[in-house]
Amino acid sequence: MNGYMGEIARVDLTQGKIMTIPTSDYKSWVGGHGMGSAIFFDLVKDKTIDGFNPANVVTIMTSPLCGTLVPAGSGRTEVQGIGVQSYPIGWFTRSNFGGRFSTMLKHAGWDGIVIEGRTDSPVWIDIRNRTIQIRDCRSLSLWGTDTRTCQERIWSYVCGTGTFGDWLKPHGEEGGKTTQRPAVLAIGPAGENLSRMACLIHDAANSSGQGGFGAVWGSKNLKAISVIGTGSINIHAPKALMKARLRQMDKYAFDLDNRKRKPLSTVFDAFPRPMTLWGNPRGSKRPSEGQRPVACVGCHAGCRGRYESGLGNEAHCAGTAFYSEASSLDIQRRSSDLLNRFGVNVFEAWRGLEYLRGLNREGVLGPGKKIDFPLTFKNYGSYEFVEQFIKIIAFRNDGHGHKSQAGDDLGEGFVRAAKKWGRLEGDEGDLKTGWLNFPYWGLPNHYEPRTELEWGYGTILGDRDINEHCFNTIFWDVLISRFTGSKPSATAEETVKIYTDKMIPFQGDRLMMDYGTENMYSEHMAKLVAWHRHYARFWKQSALLCDLRWPDFVNPYAPDKVGSTGESEQVFFNAVTGKHFTFLDGIELGRRIWNLDQAIWTLQGRHRDMVHFADYIYQVPYGGPSFMTSKVNGAWEYANISGRCINKEKFEEFKTRFYHLEGWDPETGYPSRSTLRSLNLGYVADELEKNGKLGKG
Amino acid sequence: MKNKKYAKQDDANGEITRRSFLKLSGAAAVGMWVGKALPDLIWIDEATAAIPASEGYLLVDTKKCQGCMSCMLACSLVHEGVANLSRARIQVIQNPFEKWPHDLTIEQCRQCVDPSCVEACPVDALEANPNYGNVRMVYGDRCTGCGECVAACPYTPSRSLVVADEKYQNKEKARKCDLCAKAPYHWHRKGGGPQGKQACVEVCPVKAIKFAKEIPVQEGDTGYKVNLRDEKWASLGYPMD
Repeated sequence: MNGYMGEIARVDLTQGKIMTIPTSDYKSWVGGHGMGSAIFFDLVKDKTIDGFNPANVVTIMTSPLCGTLVPAGSGRTEVQGIGVQSYPIGWFTRSNFGGRFSTMLKHAGWDGIVIEGRTDSPVWIDIRNRTIQIRDCRSLSLWGTDTRTCQERIWSYVCGTGTFGDWLKPHGEEGGKTTQRPAVLAIGPAGENLSRMACLIHDAANSSGQGGFGAVWGSKNLKAISVIGTGSINIHAPKALMKARLRQMDKYAFDLDNRKRKPLSTVFDAFPRPMTLWGNPRGSKRPSEGQRPVACVGCHAGCRGRYESGLGNEAHCAGTAFYSEASSLDIQRRSSDLLNRFGVNVFEAWRGLEYLRGLNREGVLGPGKKIDFPLTFKNYGSYEFVEQFIKIIAFRNDGHGHKSQAGDDLGEGFVRAAKKWGRLEGDEGDLKTGWLNFPYWGLPNHYEPRTELEWGYGTILGDRDINEHCFNTIFWDVLISRFTGSKPSATAEETVKIYTDKMIPFQGDRLMMDYGTENMYSEHMAKLVAWHRHYARFWKQSALLCDLRWPDFVNPYAPDKVGSTGESEQVFFNAVTGKHFTFLDGIELGRRIWNLDQAIWTLQGRHRDMVHFADYIYQVPYGGPSFMTSKVNGAWEYANISGRCINKEKFEEFKTRFYHLEGWDPETGYPSRSTLRSLNLGYVADELEKNGKLGKG
Repeated sequence: MKNKKYAKQDDANGEITRRSFLKLSGAAAVGMWVGKALPDLIWIDEATAAIPASEGYLLVDTKKCQGCMSCMLACSLVHEGVANLSRARIQVIQNPFEKWPHDLTIEQCRQCVDPSCVEACPVDALEANPNYGNVRMVYGDRCTGCGECVAACPYTPSRSLVVADEKYQNKEKARKCDLCAKAPYHWHRKGGGPQGKQACVEVCPVKAIKFAKEIPVQEGDTGYKVNLRDEKWASLGYPMD
């Protein structure tokens, strides 16, 4: 099986047992998310359990492309399981991170790891090639460490007295040699203390941020997984892979000698530059010191950086937008490090801090206030402030080691905390006014559902903030153009044509890209959302192409600006695996995976009646700038779609259209037997039926 | 040869080692010169005759590298048809927590003018291959996997590595950088070697690896760890020095 190692490790922490699952048992799902959902479905009999239940299974999956030369398709790892972050139900959810973990896992001989159960005392998992051991944390005093200290201690332990930089035999005389450090995925104090915002961290700042998986691991007493391997990943057609790689670079990647557009961050042709937002919104302040770009394994254009000061190494994007009003750039960079060291999800911390500050300004939150919160905002902007804030989240106390009820409340996440503080009640509840900017499933606002429809709809119809920038690139391209007085990469008409031509099997329906108010609840928009879910579920979350570089829709280096998506994905996939897989095959498999996920959510308790945004999305017009493609008076333009809400009744109609399109029961949103059978998921229909959750049809 | 020095005896047997001969001659370029015209007034044992210099070298910019390890993956891919960081003849080693530029190093084979690995091989399985521009290459058929080349390499990590080789019934064989001279999975019709293309050079997304024909300064790192950055690179916000 080219691209695969043949087995998935299954670790039962309760029994202290290591077992294996043949990858071939799940080969129809290809890898990543597809395999993770399928394994979860099989192993977790009662899907209604809470994420903290030991029976919760966490999968950590690679794809056949990991560790190969596929550009921006080699370095990601997909994590899944029942999360604890979303509200009111911790949905079966996903998160994914970059770096070198998936590569090292495959070199060790594994296509993934499945974790179940819990131990009585904290452990870490030590994987060295094919040998897996569950080790007590005490010998290295790991429990209680931040993610950096934890990783460094594990590196030293695994690599023994060898010097980094020399050939090491981490597996004793049995295995091969490597010069590399172990790839470690760890939780910080936030996970240990079951903070629902806790994440998993790998190296300096690769984070599996969403879902609260840090807390899930903490509930299992699992501190870290370390993997080091020296084996080979078989490639079906090495020459073809190398040729495809060089061709892709030549035709579609950045060219410093021939710059075609202003820098955009979420495109294939992006420059290798740290995608940092330190200093925003006052003005982006890139540190003016020695630095390099940093890329995940095999990526052609790194999006991170390492710096002469070492501050904020590898932090990027939202991880650098946090605490923008820090009184100095250095403090803001150090706050990025705090988030990563303590293992706290930046998005929730970022939006949540905005919320707390608003409450403080209103005089209702602070020491001795109605919400007796241990943070005084008098030193807002200082390092002491942000350190205390992050420690409140991580330790669920006052941030100085003392008990605090409000601090403990915050460990439950901002929406649960706000509910406890009585802030969600009545007509002026914070989710009605928008004070608490958490519009979907108790999760913080990333991109605005009232305007970026595929983002909002995809999130509320799914399990989490989708964090897929496929169409969001248009938003940024146009916004930056407006601020700088330059032109977008393509006209609106060009953009619509290029995008919709590639959106098979719905190609040709241009109205999929009409974000205008008249079209926002239409079947065309339903197709856009469905296509996006299917593409992302397979090509990004199962084949594990990186969201920051794929898909490649509009590419200024390409003839007629037509990017490589729809052609290149399958070329790389087939060069590695030897399959004859088409782009459409991937979309179809993505649909299959999406249906399986919907079945799992249905079994968890989802019904269409609960698929709703927070009230303010229906009541408060969005006032921020937003320009997206829309057909206005018969012509395509980048229209200003700001200033609107989502109409709740029309959203119900949209849901009905979406469910019809997906072949689900429009009355309930439950998948139907006919649809599941057509996707070879009859056994899933059986389970839904057994639980009284099978949709009609 | 008016300025020729008389050879000094270097050891108890009175033989002149190749290394001491080179010191007498006093120039890094002597390898090439000696290869063409051995002076006839100084007797040298054939076994320690000077080795012709390679016609190609890899130079790297460790301050520019983005740590993607594409070079390592490409190296193992074109030589062995697999993706394996442990089989790469070029190694990128990094610490994500360390400060730039000390967070990363690239360790490439230097195609040394005075190759210790070649000298160390007891079965002449490692030679300067005249068919490929004198690249220091392993002959797998002759190699016994003894590891003397690994031990002899003066650099860390050793540029030579010994691994089980499927082509030889999993017997251990040495491998080292050959500038892609013998890369059975080379993607280009013309192949590699000093006259062709090197996979690591071609695949590096930021052009932090360069192929050069001139012999680099052999002492220290300055000959091999160079500055490949220019104004265009600097325009992305990176330092040029």
